[in-house]
Amino acid sequence: MAVNDSHLDWVLVIAPYRRDAEHLETLLAQNGVAVRRAEGLEQLMALLAQTPGVLVTTQEALDPEVQEAIGRHLVEQPEWSEMPILILLDRMVPPTRVQAELSAVWPRSRQLYYQRPVTMLELLSGVQSSLLARLRQRDVRDHIERESELRRELNHRVKNILSSISSIFQMTRRRAVSLDEFADDFAGRLAALANVHSAVFQANGDAAQFSHIVELTFSPYRAKGADRISFKGPEILLSAEAATTLALCFHELATNALKYGALLRPEGRISLKWSVSQDGNLDLEWLERGGPPVSEPKRSGYGTRYIRSALYNLFGTPPTILFHPQGLCCTQIGPLARVSPKDL
Amino acid sequence: MPSSASPLRIFCLEDNPLIIFQVEAMIEDLGHLFAGSAISFTDLVKRQDLDRIDGVLVDIDLADGRTGPNAAFWLSRQGIPSIFVTGQEAIAAEYSHVVLATIGKPVSEIELAEKLELFRHTNRNGGGTL
Repeated sequence: MAVNDSHLDWVLVIAPYRRDAEHLETLLAQNGVAVRRAEGLEQLMALLAQTPGVLVTTQEALDPEVQEAIGRHLVEQPEWSEMPILILLDRMVPPTRVQAELSAVWPRSRQLYYQRPVTMLELLSGVQSSLLARLRQRDVRDHIERESELRRELNHRVKNILSSISSIFQMTRRRAVSLDEFADDFAGRLAALANVHSAVFQANGDAAQFSHIVELTFSPYRAKGADRISFKGPEILLSAEAATTLALCFHELATNALKYGALLRPEGRISLKWSVSQDGNLDLEWLERGGPPVSEPKRSGYGTRYIRSALYNLFGTPPTILFHPQGLCCTQIGPLARVSPKDL
Repeated sequence: MPSSASPLRIFCLEDNPLIIFQVEAMIEDLGHLFAGSAISFTDLVKRQDLDRIDGVLVDIDLADGRTGPNAAFWLSRQGIPSIFVTGQEAIAAEYSHVVLATIGKPVSEIELAEKLELFRHTNRNGGGTL
């Protein structure tokens, strides 16, 4: 970024005497510095509008109109900018007087004064250090831009997460029969959301491993009863959004199993398998065995409704949820591309 | 508070599954019909069942980027009216001419009930301009 920007920087030279101007131009050009020369006030203003990196001026060029034009340009600079200006003073003029005068009319500039005669080497090194200073200013500008972009992105994400929590809250409240049940369900869903957020953040912010999301969801249940939950499948990278949705679905399935399904009995087992077919479809299967006999609920609850809606939106095809007497079975097939991180 | 008039068929264009989930429930609570959902403009244009829809709730940022305004414009060209449902009110205001109204997030049921009624009085043949 900085390397490209250095090509953008060029030096504007103002010197009313042609010989001075040509001399400066040759010196800088020979050392690989791009130079443009302003002859007259109109051309000066036009070139200033194209934002030169550095300004080199002889003292005799600085009549009141020129001083004012440069002053206006400095005032209108963006916040990150502090234009370097090299001023070549006449031999006989006391530098302090000019410095005091120009500092007053030229705010936010980096002024370097040279009393003539000045050696070529001295002047060249002044121009080069000014170009370097300019480059650092552009780095600051890029940094500021990145920061405000991050702030916008953060604001968007925070709003999104607040909307998610608000939805979970409203939907949990709808079906709750007691305050205790509501509190437990809401806290569980919020914890599932928080856990998957941490997992995605720890991964690299934009993706998470499928198996990691599964482990995360099951760790509280596995701790209680050895290996009653088994899972098996290839390593798949999920987008942050897909990881969140799947984690919340697995959370609903697991809590359902704890309340009504396989995790209600010591001999109950859950198996979760996933695979990717040759035509790029992800195939998911959640299967419960060994729990109490299952029957289709008369009214579908939060979990079933959420899983149906969320998986349908994630994959573009609806899941199949079967309430077999021997145990619940939930399957989903859909394009892997829809759950993969977008940048890959 | 279900509406006493005939139910409206509402489609939802939104990339956050939790919000779709909630909006679906709210639409049904209000006595309307939830006609389906899509998470991106790309998904929306593939749908074959849009002709029976009374209106679409459209988020600004979708799974395929900031495509909500384009989606609302595309829908208006099919004679289907839209309402923005978004946390990006400033952007919604820029494109207010392609929608009937804007609902801020999080969505309140009272505001949703009131603004869904706008779909009832819309001339289905009037296309918007962008």
